[in-house]
Amino acid sequence: MRETMSIWFFAGVLLLIYGLIIVAEGTWELAHPPTHPPVLFNLHPALWWGGMMAIAGLAYTIRFWPRVRR
Amino acid sequence: MPFLASKFFLPGTLALFQTQGRSLAHLNSIDILVIAVYFAIVIFIGFYLKGSTNTSEEFFMAGREMTAWIAGLSFVSANLGSLELMGWAGSAYQYGILATHWYWIGAIPAMLFLGIIMMPFYYISKTHSVPGYLHLRYGDGARALSAVSFAFMTVLMSGINMYSMAIVMKVVLGWDLNFSIWVSSITVALYVALGGLRSAIFNEVLQFLLIWLGALLVPILGLVEVGGWTNLREQILHRLGSAEYVHMWSTLGHFHDNPMGIHWTGIVFGLGLVISFGYWTTDFLVVQRVLSAHNLRAARMAPIIGAGFKMAVPFIVILPGLLALSVLPFHLVGETQAVATGQHSYNEVLPLMLVRYCSPGLLGLGVTALIAGFMSGMAGNVSAFSTVWTYDIYGAFINKRASDQHYVKMGRWCTFIGVLISVGTAYLVQHAASIMDYVQALFSFFIAPLFGTVIIGMLWKRATKAAGFWGLLAGTLTAVGLWAWVRHDPSALRYVALSSDARAMAEDMYRALWSWLVCVMITIVVSYMTRPRPEAELEGLVYGASKIPEEHDDQWYQKPIVWAGVIFAIFIVLNIIFW
Repeated sequence: MRETMSIWFFAGVLLLIYGLIIVAEGTWELAHPPTHPPVLFNLHPALWWGGMMAIAGLAYTIRFWPRVRR
Repeated sequence: MPFLASKFFLPGTLALFQTQGRSLAHLNSIDILVIAVYFAIVIFIGFYLKGSTNTSEEFFMAGREMTAWIAGLSFVSANLGSLELMGWAGSAYQYGILATHWYWIGAIPAMLFLGIIMMPFYYISKTHSVPGYLHLRYGDGARALSAVSFAFMTVLMSGINMYSMAIVMKVVLGWDLNFSIWVSSITVALYVALGGLRSAIFNEVLQFLLIWLGALLVPILGLVEVGGWTNLREQILHRLGSAEYVHMWSTLGHFHDNPMGIHWTGIVFGLGLVISFGYWTTDFLVVQRVLSAHNLRAARMAPIIGAGFKMAVPFIVILPGLLALSVLPFHLVGETQAVATGQHSYNEVLPLMLVRYCSPGLLGLGVTALIAGFMSGMAGNVSAFSTVWTYDIYGAFINKRASDQHYVKMGRWCTFIGVLISVGTAYLVQHAASIMDYVQALFSFFIAPLFGTVIIGMLWKRATKAAGFWGLLAGTLTAVGLWAWVRHDPSALRYVALSSDARAMAEDMYRALWSWLVCVMITIVVSYMTRPRPEAELEGLVYGASKIPEEHDDQWYQKPIVWAGVIFAIFIVLNIIFW
């Protein structure tokens, strides 16, 4: 039997998935810049914002992973 | 307090976008994937939590197991809808930093008051709802009046939110109205009916995170673009030639000195004292979240934590509106002019800023934040409706002796019925947009008097059963009467809002103030004319007749009063900085 899943576990999983998607898109855009880039595209917010979300999401997913009850 | 949809959309807005067939943003497959992941997780949470919502306490009160952080985030998130974000961002563009009053003086003192003064009585009385507290304190008359009005209005408001969401999705993304209404309502009905309040709270916490993650990039990149706050102020002053957009208090000396047409007394007493306290301390939609806390300390800390986050919301709402004044190459206009000319309106400022800075993926995240905001708002309305219907109407007056399982079943069915009524309201509003105006006006009529009735009941032992009912009724009728008077004779505004220069927002503030005062006066007068309840019956309900359980905090910095003091000090400093 495992513990019930905490809300913070769900939050971690959501952040991790979103972070990975956004970083992957940001990496793709490095090689294939959009025709009409948004303002300040040169700062590549998708990479650092997505990266930050992925790291925070990973930390929360691991920290709140439902453990096996003893 | 919630942003009013009727102040957001004119009846012609939809027609404009139908005829022009344009949308502000175009989503690609990555954005759609981001939205799809959100829907999948929301529905999964509903199914996952179904197993832990078997009793009425679990279904309606989330088992009273929430920590202070979860209850606090949910408390503030229940109010942080997308209409609120987009509407106040538009107001910031239109009125400048004055719009921040609705986040600071219009919320923080009331939230701290709820945590420190009122929460012990709500919590130790073990009430399931605000009408439930009125039942314990004043009897069935006040409970019936407040429960019926709340249940009816809440489910109609949910329909208005649903319609507003469908329009925003059409305006921003070009989505079909029916598609938005049915997808959102089926999703909300599923996860609330399955997981009850616990499911609604889980989703509100996720929504809170999503809103911050989706919207925070706009002010960050905006400040980078303009070169910081000091440069932004200078650019606004240069572009508009007026200092009133960047000051919160210094222009409130007279009604015609500021773009809102409001006086500081309206902001302090109408908004800060009556409307804000009425909404944050007695609107069951938000109070229900705090009642789910696992102990009294968590219940007291939850509004204080919520106040801390609420104070930061202007960074993602007001600041984008101010940034748009500086960076957008075109000027936004009011809804009427936008409908007539095809220009962008103030209310589109947040999506416009999202599109300005966000590439695919990030744009999907921003749009998901808007969808999440709408859906959790609907879920909040529907879960509060099902609780008040089941406990305070059905269980109190129709079927008093049913089993616990029966009430849970009733709650689940109520959720579906509430969503169906909401859908019906959404379609009704689509064909008669003026209904939106009337429903929201009606909703506002109950808030201020209800606060008068609850606060007197909590703080004054002498208040009697009859006084609670008649005070609430008189206050509500005063609000209705003043509203109808100004509609019938617009020149009456100079009496209601104390100045003929006053505008709609000022009228709202003063109408609330008068209805609250009438409620309080009638409650006091009737109390002295009727027999009070014995003090023994007031145990756990009234200040002075109740023993508040002692909280054994290990350290001084764990005490709720310390954190309330910290939040209040920051609130004062921020008001001075932006004076």
